[in-house]
Amino acid sequence: MSESYELIMDSTNKIFKHYCTKELLDRAENGHWPQELWDVLAEAGIISIGFSEQAGGVGGDYIDAYNILKLAGKYGVPVPLAETLIGKWLFAEVGGQVGDIPLTLALQNDSNFSFVDEGDGYTLGGSASAVPWARYMEQILICGDLNGKQVAALVPLAHAEIREENNIAAEPRDSVIFSQVKIDGLTVYQVDSVLISEKSLYYLALAKAAMMAGAAERVMELSLFYANERQQFGRSLHRFQGIQHHIASLAGETVACITAVNTAVQALQDGQYKTEIPLAKMKVSAASGKIAMAAHQLHGAIGMTYEHSLHHLTRRLWSWRDESGNESYWGSVLAKSLIEKNSPTLWEVLTDEQNLLIVD
Amino acid sequence: MIKLELPVVKFSQDQKDFRATIRSFLQNERLAGTFESKCDSWLSGDSIEFSRKLGQKGWIGMTWPQEYGGGERSAIERYILTEELLAAGAPVAAHWFADRQTGPLFLKYGSEEQKQFFLPQIAKGECFFSIGLSEPNAGSDLAAIRTKAERTDGGWLINGSKIWTSGAHISHYMIVLCRTSPYDQNQRHAGMSQLIVDMKEKGVTVRPIQFLTGEHHFNEVFFENVFVPDNRLIGTEGNGWKQGMAELAYERSGPERILSTYPLLEEMIHILRENEDEAGLKETIALLPDLWTLRNMSMGVAKYLEEGQDVNMIAALVKDLGTVFETNVAEKARLIISRIPSMSSNDRLSRLMAQSILHGPGFTLRGGTTEILRGIVAKGVVAQ
Ligand SMILES: Cc1cc2nc3c(=O)[nH]c(=O)nc-3n(C[C@H](O)[C@H](O)[C@H](O)COP(=O)(O)OP(=O)(O)OC[C@H]3O[C@@H](n4cnc5c(N)ncnc54)[C@H](O)[C@@H]3O)c2cc1C
Repeated sequence: MSESYELIMDSTNKIFKHYCTKELLDRAENGHWPQELWDVLAEAGIISIGFSEQAGGVGGDYIDAYNILKLAGKYGVPVPLAETLIGKWLFAEVGGQVGDIPLTLALQNDSNFSFVDEGDGYTLGGSASAVPWARYMEQILICGDLNGKQVAALVPLAHAEIREENNIAAEPRDSVIFSQVKIDGLTVYQVDSVLISEKSLYYLALAKAAMMAGAAERVMELSLFYANERQQFGRSLHRFQGIQHHIASLAGETVACITAVNTAVQALQDGQYKTEIPLAKMKVSAASGKIAMAAHQLHGAIGMTYEHSLHHLTRRLWSWRDESGNESYWGSVLAKSLIEKNSPTLWEVLTDEQNLLIVD
Repeated sequence: MIKLELPVVKFSQDQKDFRATIRSFLQNERLAGTFESKCDSWLSGDSIEFSRKLGQKGWIGMTWPQEYGGGERSAIERYILTEELLAAGAPVAAHWFADRQTGPLFLKYGSEEQKQFFLPQIAKGECFFSIGLSEPNAGSDLAAIRTKAERTDGGWLINGSKIWTSGAHISHYMIVLCRTSPYDQNQRHAGMSQLIVDMKEKGVTVRPIQFLTGEHHFNEVFFENVFVPDNRLIGTEGNGWKQGMAELAYERSGPERILSTYPLLEEMIHILRENEDEAGLKETIALLPDLWTLRNMSMGVAKYLEEGQDVNMIAALVKDLGTVFETNVAEKARLIISRIPSMSSNDRLSRLMAQSILHGPGFTLRGGTTEILRGIVAKGVVAQ
């Protein structure tokens, strides 16, 4: 957490609250790109968190950045904040530079991009699916093969064919296809593609977990408000024991999500995240389904309407829990690492304290 | 008094043949591209042509007396039909309420004239009904309804509004539960009646309420001095609460409380088998014991209903368990086959997943919320 943490959170919160109204979210779902919101975020330095001032950023660390993403989830911020932040960090690590425009990324190992050097540029072929916000973006960070070497590049999307698809929160998750197009003046950077794609996946998974924790917080707020306001049988809903159980379970799961995210973010800041990020994403993904269901149950039919804002959050919870790896995905990753690791016990993995057990 | 035990239903050869007939009909329709399999198709799949087709085959009102256009078949045969339709995800929403509860309501409480007028049209698949119970301030607490009907020359004048009315925009009539005597705090269930409102009548306004998927399934309906002639009162004036409660048993225990997400389960198994994914199949199959048990329970209730038993408590119990199962299918699916659920995807599984997830919360709300049902079950069990 940086020194200016409180200040950053406070101003970010104000911006989100002001711009990310129900009306904006509705419009964003229907094909509107909120340029004004993006400009304000850029102006305030929020898209450059995690970079020192020398590197053109505003300072701040992972803890700042992920807490901003938590807020972004809470307000359903309809721009690729996580993708831009993570893309910028990763690109900077390999020596590239990005300005203040939003970007998306597709660094996963299984995408099949390949570059051919043409002297004055590169010919690019390959495709990626479920690319966040691609239709509105000017550039995409990808990595691919160049003569048997792995390279990363920030590629203008003007050269790509975009097939529009959405997740169930109506957020763009497009297919991006480069059909052997020649791109002039492109710079490529040699990378360890396994490492960069792994980092991208872990960072994005934690971003989704943080955003879900934020959304859960808001779902909880809406539920408390409604349980107080709505009357049936002559009493506020929260007076009924059945509803109290929902509220208790919402509260419990929300606190659990926030704790899981905070723990994993601290671990990332400390440079060790291989167990913590999967555990956090699994926990939050599993909880988000329960949270969404309890909140809808408590809201009755009104929560099933487009007019109410509950669905903007619950649909995000339902989408994000499956993005960047769901419980089964990360479960098998952990299972594999348990098998591969030099026989630590489960408890050792959980506590990450295997060395303590070695007695000499 | 009803025990916590349900009859076991066994199928006769005729009934098995009937199932085969329905199945091949549905298979042909699907191949012909008449419909696309959908989850929760009894809410979201409305096709006037498909309803007509079923009507022509005698598959609406199949248990009703022949003199009213029915088929005089047993409740178990109707059960077979409805579960086949739902498992196939067929578009049955348009006629669903009329077939399920309005028909039986007429048969039990309707006048001779009403039966002769409405039942044959319903059975032909040409007359759809919607159910007007909930109001903005009366959800679980249904006795809090305020919509009222006052006497006028030759009938009634209705004023008030209903909300969440599924299919009001495609129905010809609505059964409106309303107050025909002023609200009395000490006798909350008294003074209500069921009136048949012609949706084309002057003063009826239907306003769509956008479902959270963006689609149009339910509505708000306003009544402003809507005239209802005397012969459109169902049963006895003031007996609306009791009559309405009797309908709920039909509403709560059917296969639609178990199978709303079945098309998803089917598609999963299909894909896993194609991929020879043994582990995935094993996990999916873990859902089957619940499904099998629930189906048998639901058929038992259908049998009891036919025998005229009081199934209020047991129907509530089946709906509670069944709807929890329906949502469970969607929750399990995403962990077994990873896809990004999407309503508009080209991939069938992604679409079925999206439908199941987004419709999911409604399963445990509509037709009596889980909390209310558990209250009924708890009270019922304690009373025994
Ligand atoms: C998809 C869908 C279709 C529908 N179609 C129709 C239709 O065709 N016709 C129609 O008339 N209605 C319809 N409904 C409305 C449905 O019947 C109501 O949603 C339901 O009765 C609950 O009422 P409510 O939504 O006002 O919630 P509320 O009654 O306000 O309840 C909100 C929450 O409080 C809980 N609660 C309320 N009272 C108690 C209590 N005493 N103890 C414990 N918990 C309590 C509820 O269980 C729920 O969790 C539909 C609803 C949905 C979702």
